[in-house]
Amino acid sequence: MPQLNSVYRHREADRVLTSVDTYRLSGGYLALEKALEEMTPDELLYAFHRSGLRGRGGAGFPMGRKASFLPKDAQLAKYLVCNADESEPGTFKDREIMELNPHQLIEGMVLAGYAIGAERGYIYIRGEYEYQAQVLDAAIASARESGYLGNGIAGSSVGFDLTLYRGAGAYICGEETGLLESLEGKRGQPRLKPPFPAVKGLWASPTLLNNVETLAAIPPIVEHGPDWYASMGTEKSPGTKVFSVSGHVREPGNYEVVLADTTLRELIFDMAGGLRAGRRFKACWVGGSSVPVLAEQHLDTALDYESLEEAGTFLGSGGCIVMDDSGCIVRASLRLASFYRHESCGKCTPCREGTGWMENVLQRMVDGEGRVEDLELMEALFGRIGGKCLCALADGAVAPISSAIRLFRNDFVRVINDGSPPPQPMEPRLPMSGGRSNA
Amino acid sequence: MPDYAPVDLSRADVVEFELNGRAVTAPAGTMLVDACAAHGVEVPIFCYEPRLGDPLGACRMCLVRVEGLLGLTTACSTPVAEEMIVDTVSDEVKDAQDGILELLLENHPLDCPVCDKGGECPLQDLTFRFGPGQSRMIEPKRHFPKPLELSSQIALDRERCISCYRCVRFSQDVSEDGDLTMSERGGRSEITTFTGEAYEGRFTGNVIDLCPVGALTSIPYRFVSRPWDVQNTPSVCASCSVGCNTELTVREGEIKRVQGREEPNWEVEEGWICDVGRWGYGADRAPQRLRQPILRDGDDIRDCSLEEAVAAAGLLLARQPRTSVLLGGDATVEEAFIARELAAGPLPNGQTGTAGVAGAALGPLRALPGAQLGDIDGADLIVVVGGDPANQHPVVELRLRKARRSGIRMLVAGPRAHEIESLGEGTRTPPGRLAAGLAAAVEAIAEAERPIVIWDELDLDAEPDAAAVLADALSQAPSGRQVELPAEVNGAGIRALGIAPYSSLLGREALGGVLAVRADPGAGPGAEAWDRALESAGPVIAIASHHNTLTERATVVVPCSSHYEHEGVLVTVGQRAQRLRPGAAGPQHSAPGWEILIALAHRLGVAPEYRSARSAFAAAAAGTPALAGLDYESLGELGAPIAAPPATDVNGAGAPRGFQGEGLPLVTGRAAFGGAVSHLAEGLASVASGEEAVLHPAEAARLGVGDAGDVSLSSPNGACTLRLRLDESAPQGVVFAIRGVPGGGVEGLLAPDSAPVKVTVGPA
Repeated sequence: MPQLNSVYRHREADRVLTSVDTYRLSGGYLALEKALEEMTPDELLYAFHRSGLRGRGGAGFPMGRKASFLPKDAQLAKYLVCNADESEPGTFKDREIMELNPHQLIEGMVLAGYAIGAERGYIYIRGEYEYQAQVLDAAIASARESGYLGNGIAGSSVGFDLTLYRGAGAYICGEETGLLESLEGKRGQPRLKPPFPAVKGLWASPTLLNNVETLAAIPPIVEHGPDWYASMGTEKSPGTKVFSVSGHVREPGNYEVVLADTTLRELIFDMAGGLRAGRRFKACWVGGSSVPVLAEQHLDTALDYESLEEAGTFLGSGGCIVMDDSGCIVRASLRLASFYRHESCGKCTPCREGTGWMENVLQRMVDGEGRVEDLELMEALFGRIGGKCLCALADGAVAPISSAIRLFRNDFVRVINDGSPPPQPMEPRLPMSGGRSNA
Repeated sequence: MPDYAPVDLSRADVVEFELNGRAVTAPAGTMLVDACAAHGVEVPIFCYEPRLGDPLGACRMCLVRVEGLLGLTTACSTPVAEEMIVDTVSDEVKDAQDGILELLLENHPLDCPVCDKGGECPLQDLTFRFGPGQSRMIEPKRHFPKPLELSSQIALDRERCISCYRCVRFSQDVSEDGDLTMSERGGRSEITTFTGEAYEGRFTGNVIDLCPVGALTSIPYRFVSRPWDVQNTPSVCASCSVGCNTELTVREGEIKRVQGREEPNWEVEEGWICDVGRWGYGADRAPQRLRQPILRDGDDIRDCSLEEAVAAAGLLLARQPRTSVLLGGDATVEEAFIARELAAGPLPNGQTGTAGVAGAALGPLRALPGAQLGDIDGADLIVVVGGDPANQHPVVELRLRKARRSGIRMLVAGPRAHEIESLGEGTRTPPGRLAAGLAAAVEAIAEAERPIVIWDELDLDAEPDAAAVLADALSQAPSGRQVELPAEVNGAGIRALGIAPYSSLLGREALGGVLAVRADPGAGPGAEAWDRALESAGPVIAIASHHNTLTERATVVVPCSSHYEHEGVLVTVGQRAQRLRPGAAGPQHSAPGWEILIALAHRLGVAPEYRSARSAFAAAAAGTPALAGLDYESLGELGAPIAAPPATDVNGAGAPRGFQGEGLPLVTGRAAFGGAVSHLAEGLASVASGEEAVLHPAEAARLGVGDAGDVSLSSPNGACTLRLRLDESAPQGVVFAIRGVPGGGVEGLLAPDSAPVKVTVGPA
């Protein structure tokens, strides 16, 4: 079995692969040609299943199983939708793939489309990714020109084409059913499930939705075989995962790790260059902002689905936000509460009203007006908001704040007792992944 | 509003499940909220509304515990299943209910003392039963400037809105205008129209009934009354022949509000009413309302008492060699019956006629099995022939839209462009050619299992050959049924009494003395012919609720109750006999028509056995086969269909009718807000529309009226001038005109019997 540094070709080749030619030179599109020639859709589906690949958008649902939920005999057209609405705070791994290696995503989508019998795919990209949309658009056009999209792909009788659709700046459109509503031209709000998208998705037709990182992992799985992929990591956490490390680290950026092989400490201190001189680790949101926060005692947790769950959090999107002791956990919680209040779509009562209330209480604390009973109130609110809504946004709003109060209760009590916390010096430093900046 | 969908627990396909420790059953697929309600367990709801289509699951008020499911689940969106174990009363569920209400009230202004909804507000009621006693929020609430005008009739108070989306879903999924939407997001979400313009439509007021808080309130009812100061009376709307069941809100003898019933009539309107039915009650307060009995002698007009008026009427009529009783199409069964009895008895040589068309060829269709509007849901084919349901029988439009949403095949044929046409497979036929346009429908009826044909009385009266084709096709479909869209509000009820159209009274002999009950032939087809006939008639006694062309010339004018003020029975769509109940008292010098007529009978020297509307109806039913067995008790609050008329022999009646006159065939229709009620009621002033003629631009150019603002139309029956609208989608070779507009004059072009007519069109 090959020993690769990365599942993603631009990382393996350490170069930008935006053209069909450079991507092909690095071995791209061979998996597609091979699969169309040698594999039936069912064999391909089985390969997804066997690889153990889990959805990299945040929920970690096994990709092969999700694909198998699509009805086989459906009369309706089937759709493949790529969720490129990478809006989770601290997460910029998909951006890198789309920016530097768009063809691997396209190749993965053609393979997934072939496997489920879809002839049309959509990439729903967040509106803010203007440059990435341009790269993708150009890549789609050149893939079509080179016969990797359209009718009769790579000389076969298989047809598949892609449309890039730009969102308009709503976090909720990263939620799969909200994304579908938005893609249909409606107000982006989650749908009631069931029916799940696999049965009634885009235009009420069977639809497979996957994240960029997930779909881009398909070509190497086809090329090197599902067993190769499954041989990395653990049984429940096979393969590699890209972590976006940001915040108070010296080398912010994307780091791909074999799951379970690396600890959080290694990710932050070895790979991401550690903290600034004289600073001490304070907290970390390892899977984007919607997961429970971790503290110093969790640093030796291995980075895989099971271990992180055991530590009380989730792997999530892999957006690892690090905060050192110059940061204030109360202010950070307020910032997150403001984000979720701002992004709540307003459909479900608990989220619409509760996120605002949480923000109000935290704002009051930061303004020096906190009351001791506010912590109790917050804890009561968590129970009234969490687990009560249609989608996971409200749970994501509760998780980082409820965990912060649990792990850093003294910080909150201090802010309440002493009045407003000291102003927090911030050195804005955008983590860049290479290519070009978003400026 | 009906909170929960009705559940038929007697069905065979029930599943058994456990509800709060009790073994119960419900039909498979029933939503848990409805199943619980059917077993007397209230699961509180806000966004759930069974009539709005699929559940939304947004308010989260109906969270319950279903064993085996992670967390709590929304009972509105969970169908019952065999062996499901459901808990709606545990501490966990109660805490969730308390929690949702606490969050809903967090930003709710709690201005209940000045809120129109206060006292009849689901948010208040559910807070009382399921909610917290006090709020833990100490921050300021969200504020919006108070209130916005969503339209000239609907006020929007955004602070009170709890984002249940009921109004938005009504607009998008029931009336399908797509006009209402939510803008912004999260806590700043607010209801608005998609365009930013006023929310206008035929059914807008339903969002007021749907709103579970005081966010959407009726501007005409704003600050008018508290719920505990009013009485609500179930009645029936008499704005058109659909007969929507309504609730009259009455305070101090005046109608203050009309709304859909809390317990709707599922066979008729399902709780939806149109805006004319909702705000038309204002017509009773218009200056045109008759409030004073008068005696007229030439130019000398003298006020008198009701008693004097009736006495004068008796004296005048008794002296005539012959008498004609003219009934308006909205006269109640009781009024028509007593009037007919007068004509048959004490009135000299009495004859009776009513507004409307003869429908000589419609007998076979009417004799076929009838359906209620509620049956449309269960059809597998709907054929709409003629008419313009959206404008002339508004709530039928909602039924048809619902049928289309549920995938029922719909064929539409007729001479008129209308909204329903585009919902189905439409065939527009030139006037006189409808029979040929029914080929696809005939074929579809033969193939369908449960076809329902919805047909327009006027259009099929004009094209008897089409009626024959349709009756023939439907009679061969074993489970085929039909629904007539009558032109007159109580046309079917008056016809059941054996009363023919009054157009047949014209021309043979003079009318003699005229007793008119809610009739105004001068405003209907053949206005000029009626003008001549009335000119040579004896004294006219007009019993009417409002001024009209007849009360302008009548010797005696007797103000009678409006349909909001008296008892009576109307036979509406689906041959459904339904009871009017009095809400308002009416003007001091007015009386119910039945009472005036009974008093007149006494004046004419007979003493009828009946002394009330109730006993008059009983007497009418006793002598009328179609009404046999019906009385006020059996009609109850929801009414009942009357018996279908026997099949009549119509040999030769199926022959096509030729056109009178020269020029272009004239197709007329009513506009939803074009009728007298819309022009009289203050609440409808902003939407009332006028008369107009519609031509295709090419046709207009050919006629030399391409850029004319007004055109003049003339037929052998008369002439009128109308505003011209050019419409690319209008067919060529035909002119379309809006009738029913007060003073509009289109009726003058028509023959008294509404025979097909051609008109010449020229510059005004």
